[in-house]
Amino acid sequence: MSTATAILPHDRERAAAERAGIDESCRGPVLYFAASAIFWLLAGSILAIIASVKLHSPYFLTGIPELTFGRVRMAHLQGVSIGWTSMVTMGGSVWMMCRLCRTELIYPKLLYVSATLWNIGTLLSISGILLGDGQSIEWLDAPRYCPPFFIAGLGIVSAWVAATFRRRREKHVYVTQWYILAAVFWFPWLYTVAVFMISWSPATGVVQPIVNWWFNHNFLGLWLTPVAVGTAYYLIPKIIGRPVHSYYLSITGFWALALFYSWAGMHHLIGGPIPAWLATASTVGSMMMFIPVIAVGINHHMTMRNHFHRLKYSPALRFTVFGSITYTWVSFQGSIESLKDFSEVAHFTHYTVAHAHLGAYGFVTMIFFGLYYYMIPRLTGREWASSTLIRIHFWCASIGITIYFVGLSIGGWWQGRMLNNPDVSFASITQYLLPYLFSRTVAGILLTIGHIAFATSFLMNLAGWGKKRAGGPTYFVEKAPTV
Amino acid sequence: MNPANIAVFAVVIGSIVLFGTATIMALGWAFRDGQFDNFEQGAASIFGPDEPIGEPTDAFPR
Repeated sequence: MSTATAILPHDRERAAAERAGIDESCRGPVLYFAASAIFWLLAGSILAIIASVKLHSPYFLTGIPELTFGRVRMAHLQGVSIGWTSMVTMGGSVWMMCRLCRTELIYPKLLYVSATLWNIGTLLSISGILLGDGQSIEWLDAPRYCPPFFIAGLGIVSAWVAATFRRRREKHVYVTQWYILAAVFWFPWLYTVAVFMISWSPATGVVQPIVNWWFNHNFLGLWLTPVAVGTAYYLIPKIIGRPVHSYYLSITGFWALALFYSWAGMHHLIGGPIPAWLATASTVGSMMMFIPVIAVGINHHMTMRNHFHRLKYSPALRFTVFGSITYTWVSFQGSIESLKDFSEVAHFTHYTVAHAHLGAYGFVTMIFFGLYYYMIPRLTGREWASSTLIRIHFWCASIGITIYFVGLSIGGWWQGRMLNNPDVSFASITQYLLPYLFSRTVAGILLTIGHIAFATSFLMNLAGWGKKRAGGPTYFVEKAPTV
Repeated sequence: MNPANIAVFAVVIGSIVLFGTATIMALGWAFRDGQFDNFEQGAASIFGPDEPIGEPTDAFPR
């Protein structure tokens, strides 16, 4: 265990050189993943705004078949889920794994191949959907010619993470490594099986939506969630310089997630024509998710206890803590949504859309923004050039997702109440929802402004506009007090 | 059962066996390797002489 008081300068320099060497080995491929992800985030944001405007102004961009609501919305989902979050997940996993294993990345050039394959697949997916090749299967709506690119790209990343782990010099497997190893094992299996059963050898009848929602829910639960939670478990203690509050609880949380999350997907089909036991088992699995979520929530909160003032000084911490708090909230909400009585109102309404965005954006994306703000300066050797841009990004993102969530949750809940009332006409429900749908567009514009600020910061950093890093932390407003 | 259904069935059962076996093996390895023996040491494993406990490692740029 290293504490600040008992370290010889020589040891510090040696360790810093080792860490710098590891970052250097990852630089090219991880920055390629990171830059690609930002590109798809911007593309996905534009598609999202178009789709959102069409919901309250249906004559917007009419006459262009490529930009009809159905296609644009699917393309947006591919851009942000496959393009943005998945590419950050892969690049971030490689970087964190190398650091935690204390080993340099081997054969980095092959990861360029992986990222290129993923980019080709995403480009084909978005353009194919806009041109009318989409599959009309939620989340798996990429045209049939795309999955081979994703499977090949993913296979390389998974193999590289495993190879890095095999070469590790740090004996202990930190909880973040458990999460990453699980994600790179689970997701290739999940995706390949889902594509096989949906596209290549299609399951028929009710099995198809079962496979579909098993994949969709686990895309968040077994791919994005493990890496995002693992990232928070790495960043929060590292940034504040304090070990995680209860390591026992963190390991318990990981294994509980491994055990229960994959059951939960069927709660999306409550009320649908699936066997009752399947929906009930899924509800049980969803309620059991309280265990890992409470474990993570307590752990992150107690680790941050007496250190919340550091949110003022660290951009990475600010985003990461926002995402961690949201994880607790969105997971509790998801478990409650799996109850049949609750689903009677909330299901098939904008309430679910609000929940999905709170998970994918408020939780996962915010933690990934935190990862960028921590990781990129260590890869490029440059500090961020503008604290103003970071602040614009943070406030646009946090206010934007709050407006989005609150607006659609309220509108969606009343939408569900009215849909259950046979005396209320469908036309009046549509009319009632207009202000809430408008708030969604306002939120989307705010989020996009934040993304532009974020992309600008990133490009400025790559261009070398930031100050050269001296090796230690730098401070913005004033030097943060040491612990 | 037609060939397509057999293929689907094989994928589902095969996946459950593969997934379950891998999970049990990973857990067994972790216990044998002593990964769960000293939690306090495990929590401190991400720190080093260059980034020790007690030193914050990130801040806004000046």
